[in-house]
Amino acid sequence: MKAVQRVVPFYFGMQGRELFGCFHEPSQKRIRKGSVLICQPVGHEYINSHRALRQLAARLAEAGFPVLRFDYYGCGDSCGEAGEGSIARWLEDISTAIAALKTRAGSFPVYAVGLRLGATLAAIGGMQRDNLAGLVLWDPVVNGNNYFQELLSLQKEMLRFRPKPKRWFSTIVRQLRTYADRPRALAQRTSAWFCSRNTEAETEVLGFPVSNMLRTELEELDLLKIPGKPAPRVLVVQTTQNADEIGLKDHLIHTEAQVEQQRLDAPQIWLPTADGSLLVPAQALQSLVSWLSGVTS
Amino acid sequence: MKEEAVQLGEAGSLVGIVTSPPQGNENKPAVILLNPGILHRVGPGRIYVRIARALAARGFTALRFDFSGIGDSTVRLDNCCFEKSSVDETRGAMTFLQTTRGISRFILLGGCSGALVSLATARLDRRVIGAVLMNFPAKVDEEEPADRRRDRHYYWNFALLNLKSWRKLLTGQSDYRKIGRALAQGVKCKFIGQSKISGPDQQFRAALWELADREVQLTFVCAKGDLLLQDLYKAGGGDLKQLYAQGKVACEVIPRSDHTFSSLYDQERLVATIARRVDAAALVSKRHVHTPEIAAGPLETLC
Repeated sequence: MKAVQRVVPFYFGMQGRELFGCFHEPSQKRIRKGSVLICQPVGHEYINSHRALRQLAARLAEAGFPVLRFDYYGCGDSCGEAGEGSIARWLEDISTAIAALKTRAGSFPVYAVGLRLGATLAAIGGMQRDNLAGLVLWDPVVNGNNYFQELLSLQKEMLRFRPKPKRWFSTIVRQLRTYADRPRALAQRTSAWFCSRNTEAETEVLGFPVSNMLRTELEELDLLKIPGKPAPRVLVVQTTQNADEIGLKDHLIHTEAQVEQQRLDAPQIWLPTADGSLLVPAQALQSLVSWLSGVTS
Repeated sequence: MKEEAVQLGEAGSLVGIVTSPPQGNENKPAVILLNPGILHRVGPGRIYVRIARALAARGFTALRFDFSGIGDSTVRLDNCCFEKSSVDETRGAMTFLQTTRGISRFILLGGCSGALVSLATARLDRRVIGAVLMNFPAKVDEEEPADRRRDRHYYWNFALLNLKSWRKLLTGQSDYRKIGRALAQGVKCKFIGQSKISGPDQQFRAALWELADREVQLTFVCAKGDLLLQDLYKAGGGDLKQLYAQGKVACEVIPRSDHTFSSLYDQERLVATIARRVDAAALVSKRHVHTPEIAAGPLETLC
């Protein structure tokens, strides 16, 4: 069997906080003067879009771009537990990934392609550190609070026809059995449990925990309030009719970025499908490759 | 523990992660986690990462890798069907750990189609001393459409005991035609059933006995809320019950969970169950390494 393209998996970053990445070597037919960092979404959106973003990386590499896909801390194959991720940490991870990309690809300008929350993170990171030559925002999360409420609605919808996990009931039964002969200890334990539910309660969305810290950060997230340009050139790709995205282009123009916008008829690849399939929107991928090829030519 | 990105298979085309225990392998079998359907090696809800790390904490080396064309692994350019290539690649993964880490016994773990590959590989390769099969997709009656099977499973196993469902029924908010059809089909399946065992079911039961005779530790882990559980019982029939009663096959059902173990609580119970079963399989295993036997004829499929 002959390998089609060279993909190099590796760990990078600080010891104890290693991040996983896949570097796609560019086709030797034509090497572009730019490298691409793919900033993935998180949670179930990461799982559902992984296949499409892998295909995007392959197409970009075929077009001559060195490409790095990576997992944030607490996500995918990177170090850390699922509930340990945060916006602040993930912004650092993007900077770390850019450095790793430059180490492998050379000092070419870095272009970032972000999907959903990955797009939002890339935009904020680019604005803060001014380290991107261009940026693709693919259906970005504009308002973090609305995004979080959408996640909760999806969680409720997806679990509507599934057996409800009655953890609280099982916990109570278990505690009653354990402390049946120690009523005072039971009272103390019950009181502590109720307190913990009120202050440290963790939300979950389709198998992924959302810590209180992350929830707070999401609620404060608003792309319409970033004070500076995320990159000199920005492409906003929209496949949804999301009211939050109205005004995004104008705001980015106001930050003095050169902004283009494309509306594509493509599926929302980050959402679960009825049959469990993973969607690859060929037209959308080709559109991104074409734009990046154009800005680097 | 240490996690290492590796490339294995022909021309290093397959991407995987090896999670090594902090104190070394402790002479235990390695656990290889196989893709659950077309999801990549992280698994739904990142559950494969949790399982691998939990096993490493218990002294097991764990390898998660992607089959060709899935996740980060390259597609194959030959015409080899997935049923054969997945088994070959799993055997290649075992050889990889054998040559790089000196491990000679393996426990395979897979969800859905990964469970099928685990079982098929276990039959062919004597280095496999155990298999954990999550939501094993036994052969089903293909005459019944998938959406009707889901309805039947839901109404018979959950709606009948759900107060909200009864309230909807009594207040005219239910789809009565769907309910009637589901209940009728359920009666047919439960009480009329089929007197003749299908060919695939016979093969499945024969495979169970074959592996039991070889003392391969098989564990079926099923979500209570997954309709595949009923398919498994039907496919395994009396043979599965007999093997279970003899302690040669284990069946673990995670109550109130679904196909992808969507809640964190389900995941916790799943990880704990798997860790317990892998520990048990490692203790029972007393076989030495044999030179891997290559299947002499065409690859048998269970389905």
